[in-house]
Amino acid sequence: MIPFNFIRPASLAEALDFLAENGERTEIIAGGTDLLVELRGIPAGKKGPKWVVDISGLPELKGIREEGEEIIVGSGSTHWEVHTSELIRETAPLLAAASATVGAAQHRNIATIGGNIMNASPAADTVPALIALEASAVLRSREGERVRPLSGIFVKPYQTDAAPGEILTAVRFRRLPAEAKSAFVKLGRRNALAISRMNAAVVLFLRDGVISEARIAPGSATPMPERFAAAEKILIGQKPSEELFRAAGAAVAAEMVDRSGRRWSTPYKEPVIAALTARALREALAG
Amino acid sequence: MIGLSPLRVDGREKVTGAARYGQDLKLAGMLYAKVKHAEYPHAEILKIDTARAKKIKGVAAVLTAADVPGNTAFGAVIVDNQPLAEDRVRYLGDAVAVVAAETAEIAEKAAAAIKVKYRELPAVFDPREALEPGAPEIHEGGNQINHHKTRKGDVAEGFRQADLVIERSYSTQRVDHTYIETEVVVASLDHDGTLTVEGSHQNIFSIRAAVASFLGLPLSRVRIVQAALGGSFGGKDDCMSVLSCRAGLLALKTGRPVMLSNSRESSLIESYKRHPYFLDYKVGVKRDGTLTAMEIKVVADGGAYASMTPFVTWRSVVHATGPYRVPNVKTDIYGAYTNNTYTGAFRGFGSPQITFAYESLMDEIAGELKLEPLEFRMNNILRDGEITATGQKLDHTVSVGQALQAATSAAGWEEKRRRFSEENRTRLLKRGIGLACSYRGVALGAEGVDATGAIVRIQSDGSIDLTTGLVEMGQGLKTVFSQIAAHELGVPVERVQYRRTDTSTIVDGGPTVASRSTIMGGAAVRKAAIAAREKLCAAAAGELGADPAELTAVGEKIMVASDPDRAIDFTGAVALALAAGMNLSSFAWHVSPPIWWDEEAGKGNAYFTYVYACQVAEIEVDPETGKINVLEVWAAHDVGKAINPEAVRGQICGGVATAIGYGTLEEVELVEGVTKTVNLDEYLIPTAMDVGKIHSIILENPDKYGPYGAKCIAEPTAELCAPAIANAVAHAAGKRIRDLPLNLERIVLGHKLVKKQRRAR
Repeated sequence: MIPFNFIRPASLAEALDFLAENGERTEIIAGGTDLLVELRGIPAGKKGPKWVVDISGLPELKGIREEGEEIIVGSGSTHWEVHTSELIRETAPLLAAASATVGAAQHRNIATIGGNIMNASPAADTVPALIALEASAVLRSREGERVRPLSGIFVKPYQTDAAPGEILTAVRFRRLPAEAKSAFVKLGRRNALAISRMNAAVVLFLRDGVISEARIAPGSATPMPERFAAAEKILIGQKPSEELFRAAGAAVAAEMVDRSGRRWSTPYKEPVIAALTARALREALAG
Repeated sequence: MIGLSPLRVDGREKVTGAARYGQDLKLAGMLYAKVKHAEYPHAEILKIDTARAKKIKGVAAVLTAADVPGNTAFGAVIVDNQPLAEDRVRYLGDAVAVVAAETAEIAEKAAAAIKVKYRELPAVFDPREALEPGAPEIHEGGNQINHHKTRKGDVAEGFRQADLVIERSYSTQRVDHTYIETEVVVASLDHDGTLTVEGSHQNIFSIRAAVASFLGLPLSRVRIVQAALGGSFGGKDDCMSVLSCRAGLLALKTGRPVMLSNSRESSLIESYKRHPYFLDYKVGVKRDGTLTAMEIKVVADGGAYASMTPFVTWRSVVHATGPYRVPNVKTDIYGAYTNNTYTGAFRGFGSPQITFAYESLMDEIAGELKLEPLEFRMNNILRDGEITATGQKLDHTVSVGQALQAATSAAGWEEKRRRFSEENRTRLLKRGIGLACSYRGVALGAEGVDATGAIVRIQSDGSIDLTTGLVEMGQGLKTVFSQIAAHELGVPVERVQYRRTDTSTIVDGGPTVASRSTIMGGAAVRKAAIAAREKLCAAAAGELGADPAELTAVGEKIMVASDPDRAIDFTGAVALALAAGMNLSSFAWHVSPPIWWDEEAGKGNAYFTYVYACQVAEIEVDPETGKINVLEVWAAHDVGKAINPEAVRGQICGGVATAIGYGTLEEVELVEGVTKTVNLDEYLIPTAMDVGKIHSIILENPDKYGPYGAKCIAEPTAELCAPAIANAVAHAAGKRIRDLPLNLERIVLGHKLVKKQRRAR
């Protein structure tokens, strides 16, 4: 592994001060399950980060709590903390489900939800769930805090619009009401320790047996995770049915091809994302 | 003691972390080595410039083929593998130079500083194309490594008698052994000039032969010692010779100890794999389900070096029809050189490929004839005293029928076949149940001389040293051999210490391969232990006033068999023997019963005995995503006699897991010779969550040639589950997949998803 300076700030303020000065040549490490692999992949002699700032011990980034109708998940929360949190299970079960499928237990014990977001992988498990929850990202720098819709921070695969001086401190979203229906469905090549081949997160609201609101966020389908409005539109105002869910799935597949173009993997991904979407909708409805 | 399952004798050291593996070795003044790999899959080496690398501070040596004092190539069958490429590179895992430096980082820097000038040569990556006239020649004399055949009866006549002739083609992929521990050696010179190479060795004697030849040293000056081994599965043979030659050369030139180890990436790129096979089967069958003829043509991708290809494909040719009564057989198998990563021994050794083909085919034929797969097999399987495809009359209990019955009845076969078909009509996830059966020649067979030795040494305090030339690699050999010695000497296993395997402590007893250890090595241990016991009995006879022949060793006593009260302590008998000047060390040698093979005629008694097995897989497949879940596996294996049933179950679980990976997940992907799956994030093996519940069913039909009737278990466990899964998928989803692995894309699309490649060259 290439050499770098390892910085362990004692507080968020100290971390932000350091980043304000040195952010350009610094990588932030939380759980390290993505970053360490990347650092080891840099060949000897090639340039890497000068500093690595470890934010895993910062108390300001820890904890899952509610503030009124909002749930705030500290970016330093591990996947284990997220998927075992009673609050998350109650208010955002699809997020608990997504966190539960990340890597293996060893990863979930150390990898954080903030890392999963900021790594910006198109295959991230928690991001589609958070987007379906209409979550916001809370980004802090020495100058202050900005809150952006999570779906807006992704620039391209493995890149967000966070400035070099910024740290993601939390994600926040409105709690799902008890009557909301939601699901996260993941397809991996293995039953454990698997990267999403594809996944889908959905949230449905029903009024008088009719779908009043729908959110569909497929994962590993587009370069950046996002909601698929055309498919959502098909659902709204309709009574749930197998045919309707299949139609929504087909619309997701069509939208995926529209956005990503026909690629070498499209013959597989096109029918599969349709099936996964329909399945997620079915599972959501079944509760 | 025989048939019991004492705790593994090497269990404690492994679970506590005390076991010393190759990477744990640290010698004073040790250098670290790195390899400069080829930059083209096929190219002539014009110039190797090592000047810059040599100037780097901390570099002790930069060596190339020009520095090799002995033969630049080695090979157990064909001498073609160059640990340092001399004039040509033939695959991207070849090394053109090797560096030793004070640290691994310096060595890596120095390796990167070596500049090589090449002239790129036309390359070939498909073994079928490699055998065509005009294909780029990889080794002098052409790309055909070997051609094996079997001939029985007259296939033309057999096809004439058939009501139906079915032709099918299958293919299998390249897979990696994926041992937890990658390859590692430490080479060092003793004060007397002996070169010792300790490391993750599977076959210490073949490695010694390669190192001695490469360095121009007599065999007696090369010592190969096995460190604790973190898995091998057939994989730590030729590639360990390669590492040992390179590190040995550096140690010789620098006079200092040298460690050379492969990262996971290097291991995936450099070490040999299981052969991809292309198999064409043509089968004649009567309407009542009787097989009349089989014509089989197989091409195996040997990659850049022959390695074990001639033997792997020979095992395939012997078994290619499966355990079936086929009156007319014509099989041809070709091994071909390509510019891919070379292929060699891997648990199964040429059987997983053909088993996948013939057991998929049996289900396909049954389907064509509207017969049940089990019933169809039961009508065609070999029975006691029948003749195999190579003309061998089977003179032992032929238990394939028993295995089929045992596995299917435990699995609830008939009820599930019916019920799943019914339920699947309304289910989204489809259930299926499939089976596969096999027969398998035990030990080396007509590959070569099969003999091995053991030394039992009783110490003055009554403890026992046991030495053989065969190695522990996780399979439980130390425990089973210790059990046999303990049993014959009437002492607890704890009294026996299995010595580390070391070429300087015992004569060459062949490799630890071919599932031969229990039947060959176990027999040698038994003989040596009996010889040692007889000495104790002779020593104790006077004291007990009995004839030595009346004595036995039980419960740490030497006693009169018919009168257990007349006994003396084991240690007392040892003292008597030593006082009488007796030698309490026994060496025994065991040679396999006679076998023969006529390569020209394609006939012979290929192996002295066979094992039989059946595995049933119950799966759930999602036709929409292609995801297969293996729910349960029932594995019935005739082992002759289970000396350690728990170890047998361990072997079954391991073999089934390997085969599930082979069947559904694993593939070392090469594109134009470039390995695309270079680490375990892309090369996926099954986790504990992917193997389902495995039921081991041990069948025992004692064999006259095995110690206590024992035969073998290691490899047959790994050859059945892939076709059982393929058959279960066909049952569940009506999809017949003829190419491995049955991954997500193949299940959904019916074919592999191929990334568009720039077609170069």
